[in-house]
Amino acid sequence: MNKNNFKRISHNIWEIPRDFKEGMRVPARVLSSPELFGGIDHKVIDQITNVACLPGIKKYALCMPDGHMGYGFPIGGVAAFSIDDGVISPGGIGFDINCGMRILRTNLTFDELRPKMEELLSRLFATIPSGVGSKGFLKLNRQQFNQLTEQGVGWCLENGYATESDAERTEDRGCLPNADHRTVSEKAISRGINQMGTLGSGNHYLEVEIARPDEIYDPVVAGRYGIDRDDQVVIGIHCGSRGFGHQIATDYLQVFSRCAGKYGLRVRDKELMAAPIKSEEGRRYASAMACAANSAFVNRQLITYGVRRVFRSVFGKSDQELGIELIYDVAHNIAKFEEYEIDGKEETLLVHRKGATRSFGPGKKEIPEIYRDVGQPVIVGGSMETGSALLYGTSEADEETFGSSLHGAGRTMSRMKAKRTTRGDTVKQRMKESGILVKTGYMPGLAEEAAFAYKNIDAVVEAVDALGISKKVARFYPVLNIKG
Amino acid sequence: MPYKLTDVHTTADAGLEVLGASPEELFADAAIGMTEIMVELDGLTEKREVAFDLEGTTLDDLFFNWLSEVIFYKDAECLLLKRCELKILEEDEKFTLRARIFGDEIDPERHTLKVDVKAVTYYRFGIKKEDDHWRGMVVFDL
Repeated sequence: MNKNNFKRISHNIWEIPRDFKEGMRVPARVLSSPELFGGIDHKVIDQITNVACLPGIKKYALCMPDGHMGYGFPIGGVAAFSIDDGVISPGGIGFDINCGMRILRTNLTFDELRPKMEELLSRLFATIPSGVGSKGFLKLNRQQFNQLTEQGVGWCLENGYATESDAERTEDRGCLPNADHRTVSEKAISRGINQMGTLGSGNHYLEVEIARPDEIYDPVVAGRYGIDRDDQVVIGIHCGSRGFGHQIATDYLQVFSRCAGKYGLRVRDKELMAAPIKSEEGRRYASAMACAANSAFVNRQLITYGVRRVFRSVFGKSDQELGIELIYDVAHNIAKFEEYEIDGKEETLLVHRKGATRSFGPGKKEIPEIYRDVGQPVIVGGSMETGSALLYGTSEADEETFGSSLHGAGRTMSRMKAKRTTRGDTVKQRMKESGILVKTGYMPGLAEEAAFAYKNIDAVVEAVDALGISKKVARFYPVLNIKG
Repeated sequence: MPYKLTDVHTTADAGLEVLGASPEELFADAAIGMTEIMVELDGLTEKREVAFDLEGTTLDDLFFNWLSEVIFYKDAECLLLKRCELKILEEDEKFTLRARIFGDEIDPERHTLKVDVKAVTYYRFGIKKEDDHWRGMVVFDL
């Protein structure tokens, strides 16, 4: 691989032509910045050009600025497939189906939060289960769980765990319509049935953050999203579909592996195993994946339910007084049927986003009415030391990236190396000195998630802002963090 | 050390290199190595026992199914493996595994829990015979 052979399309887009690798059906494009592109891992190039070889792929295989090595697709990979001759691939979605992020606004300011920080952190940690083997508060039978996976946040609404506003401000109202529990294995149900409302572990977290007035980049849009006061307290939640989704991905990788011969599919990497979208196996996976996606929306909603309960108790105020409202919930590991114009013709495509966020611009019918004139909120999660960012979606994304943008900072250092580089208690102390209190069940895990193990969130956000595929609204800085 | 955790092939996750005198030994050590990613092994008891049979079309396939099954028990039964007894048979062009696993129910009060293993990946996955021993490689999604 020689980066000099790449065609530079614009200041922030590099194209890898079809003759780079035998079998490429479309070029691959890396969206980046000169600084980030200089440090790109060659495995990412190998993976995104493998994606470009998949049947039915349209226009380009895309890699976002936070791209890093994944399995099959790179994380930060986006690809859209024709529903006539295209494929669906678990490796283009990820094991943690609908891993995603939500941000909640509050009426609170940092001054009001400051005296309650220790208490709030302890209460959140005690209330929101996290880590290996944690179980949620819901006790469901299999029938109820099946309903939950088919109805998503609608199930939460019916059972008093969500408000209408929560549903409205969740991507797809928290329910992919083609979910069918009959496509899900008993094993997946057994793994997930007790885990709803839990964070999980690894890079998943619950964070209380502050919107500093000097880092509100677009006050008008910020106001529309509910960021409307100085030093406002916001809450970030990052997690996915837990064991339920992990098992569905595992199950269908094996199903696809067995049926690949039947459809004459040859892939360069077993993790890219795929099936035609119209095949029986492809349709079943799409339905099972939708069940997992719905369970992840529910998971984040149930955590929100717990967060509201803790805030009410710690601050002695009602929901209305606290104003804890969902700004938006985005999926960043998912595949969805969406409409795009290809060669002057409207087509329905299956857009895979793995470590990438939908970034629809103004006017799209999929955006809730309250945000439709400004574009959808795009949430970018950083490391636990650096906080997150809020952006809005644009019509440029519609044209350039199948309505997609970045999802996070992107990991650059392995967990083992991070642990060799520093200790968890050192990170905890450093965070405390920076004004961030953190709680975790596994102290060395803090070293694994330290800021230096990730790309600079501001650099990747600047890159998408310059590309125009999302535009900056606000930056949030952490003050409390629960690391899963 | 029959297994070694490695980060050579992965940034976000964990790899495991395993050596065994037999496939059974390799399978067992890989499962223990995987458990060590999730918990400090010292704190685990063997008070629970589960027995099951698995099949695979190849030894690699059986290895994948075995590790996935141990992950399944971690979530479905909150069971962390401490030790196992395994027997692998090859018959009628398929491989069968008879397994008894011994372990502990997850208890954050007693156990030092680390990072959850979500899944076994196919990335660089496989086992092969080398001279008088077997070598395996697996990368887990965390």
